Amino acid sequence: MTSEATLAKICDLIEPINKKGVPLTADTTFAADLELDSLTVMGLVADIEDEFDILLPINLLPELETIGQVADAVDRIVADKN
Amino acid sequence: MVGNELITGVTPTLDDSLPRRMADFPTLTEALDYAAKGKRGVNFFSGRGDLVEALTWAEVREKAVALAKKLTAMGFERGDRIALIAQTSADFVVFFLGCQYASVLPVPLPLPTSFGGKDGYINQLNGQMKSCEATGVMAPAFMQDMVEQASTDVDLRFSGALSDYMAYAGDGDLALPSPDDLSYLQYSSGSTRFPHGVAVTHRSLLSNTRGMGEHGVQMRDDDRCVSWLPFYHDMGLVGTFLTTVTSQCSVDFIPTEEYARRPLTWLRIMSANRGTITYSPTFGFDICTRRASLRANAMDDLDLSSVRVAGIGGDMIRPDVMRAFADTFAKVGFSENAFLPSYGLAECTLGVSFGEVGKGISIERVEEARLAGERHILVNGAAHEPRYREVVNCGRPLPEYEVEIRDEDDAVVDGGVVGRVFVRGTSVMAGYFNDPETTKAVLSEDRWLDTGDMGFLKDGDLFIVGRAKDLIIVNGRNHWPQDIEWAAEQLPGVKNGDVAAISVPGENAEEVPMILAQFGVRDASERARFVDDMKKHIQRETGINCIIELVPPRSLPRTSSGKLSRSKARIQYLSGRLQALAS
Repeated sequence: MTSEATLAKICDLIEPINKKGVPLTADTTFAADLELDSLTVMGLVADIEDEFDILLPINLLPELETIGQVADAVDRIVADKN
Repeated sequence: MVGNELITGVTPTLDDSLPRRMADFPTLTEALDYAAKGKRGVNFFSGRGDLVEALTWAEVREKAVALAKKLTAMGFERGDRIALIAQTSADFVVFFLGCQYASVLPVPLPLPTSFGGKDGYINQLNGQMKSCEATGVMAPAFMQDMVEQASTDVDLRFSGALSDYMAYAGDGDLALPSPDDLSYLQYSSGSTRFPHGVAVTHRSLLSNTRGMGEHGVQMRDDDRCVSWLPFYHDMGLVGTFLTTVTSQCSVDFIPTEEYARRPLTWLRIMSANRGTITYSPTFGFDICTRRASLRANAMDDLDLSSVRVAGIGGDMIRPDVMRAFADTFAKVGFSENAFLPSYGLAECTLGVSFGEVGKGISIERVEEARLAGERHILVNGAAHEPRYREVVNCGRPLPEYEVEIRDEDDAVVDGGVVGRVFVRGTSVMAGYFNDPETTKAVLSEDRWLDTGDMGFLKDGDLFIVGRAKDLIIVNGRNHWPQDIEWAAEQLPGVKNGDVAAISVPGENAEEVPMILAQFGVRDASERARFVDDMKKHIQRETGINCIIELVPPRSLPRTSSGKLSRSKARIQYLSGRLQALAS
């Protein structure tokens, strides 16, 4: 799976919780742009994990500010797994 | 018989071999010594509901004693502090209890929980380690990088995972505590910039766990506790971990971050293990209700008929949210009579008052205008018809406490008059660690604690209506307005006193953090940019999403001594007297 496809998939998962209707790009930030609280974020983490059948380690989360960074991390974890 | 059909491999609910003793021990080590004679223990589950680890209290004790010998051999002395990154794991439980046998004070600190905010998290850890002058850190291996960054200027004797401590060559002697020695420090309340740790003695801890077990939840022989609450929070640490060990109860834990990902696992484990006691703040019930409405198969495998205590505490209890939970899960056997409202705070170890077991939530409708105290909250300023608020009965104070309601002049009031809640009892903290000044501000010489909460007593029951201090609570986490204001003041052109952080009621009675910022520039695009910058900056520094409202220069109210008055600003804003300008 290319990073573009990963990004698109993650954007699909975010769309239902994108209450502010923010345009979703690789540079969109979870906290400042999407204004997701930490519980909503954890629900999203669960959705991403299920979608890609991976585990996102908790210590990685603080470094992931944007959707693009999450997509990259997902790609890395998927690649490591295979 | 209950207990025969639990998830394979967990510790039993029932144990005929060991008569239950309700925390009547002088110290936590003696409590564990006793629990270790039985078969019950502690179990850890993944977010998907798989059993990860199960330890009897006997196995926990064996490891704890082994750790204590390592700690004393390494040179840790009585009263030294070790910071524990509080992952919900057997390692945390072993380390916390191991410290007790060495009379070293464990200091639970939080894990990260969200996307982004790395710098803020590391600063928080650093501040807490410095505040307690930690000389050791215990963190799971995956946290070592961040711990290292957080402790560059902290002088540590040792830092590592439990296995690293255990690998130390050589064993020292145990250093057992006395009842009036401190047992641990807790940072669940207070400013992140000026953290102060609540210092708890063995005597306070045992008094409180006894009161909560015996009077609060009226523990029975067939009780089993299930919890997702974090160990860095008093309700998780004391309520579900230390209360179960001191009363020899079996307990099932789900890590908080996994619960947040898959909240219904909490209910599934309760169903599978026939859990009887659980605890959560209001939002924890809310998230289950909301998740269940999104998942077609949410009710599969659920049977909540065994739950006899669904305790609620930690922040203001919202009756509407609790009703929605009961309505949603009634079809899988949940009884709303299981709800047990309670009130507590870390400064009292944990519990202060509990409702009546098996009676559910009881409510008083109180006229808003009566909820006076320091906050004459008249939303919209509507004078013509009285507005009512539902206030939850938080029940009777535990027998150890004296409770007083006092007015602004410190005079005791009664007859349902709202005032500040003061308590006195054995569970009240020794003080804030290394911080006599902050301690003096809340704890009088004759040991009365100012809880900072507003409430009233009616027929001996305690009702909490809000906080006298300006604390802002978002999803159960306390935020100090000073921290948010400090972040805002880092922006160019913003001076101390230009901003006030307050909370306002949101659509569903939850609290929404708001910054009132004095700003004189009229240009619309510049105003918009200022609001956007401030919002993002505060988000980065504190992890909080604030509504930013711009108010005219010199419009924020001051006290007579010229200090910013947040409570006045809040009242003026809500009543429309302080007008926000379009941004």
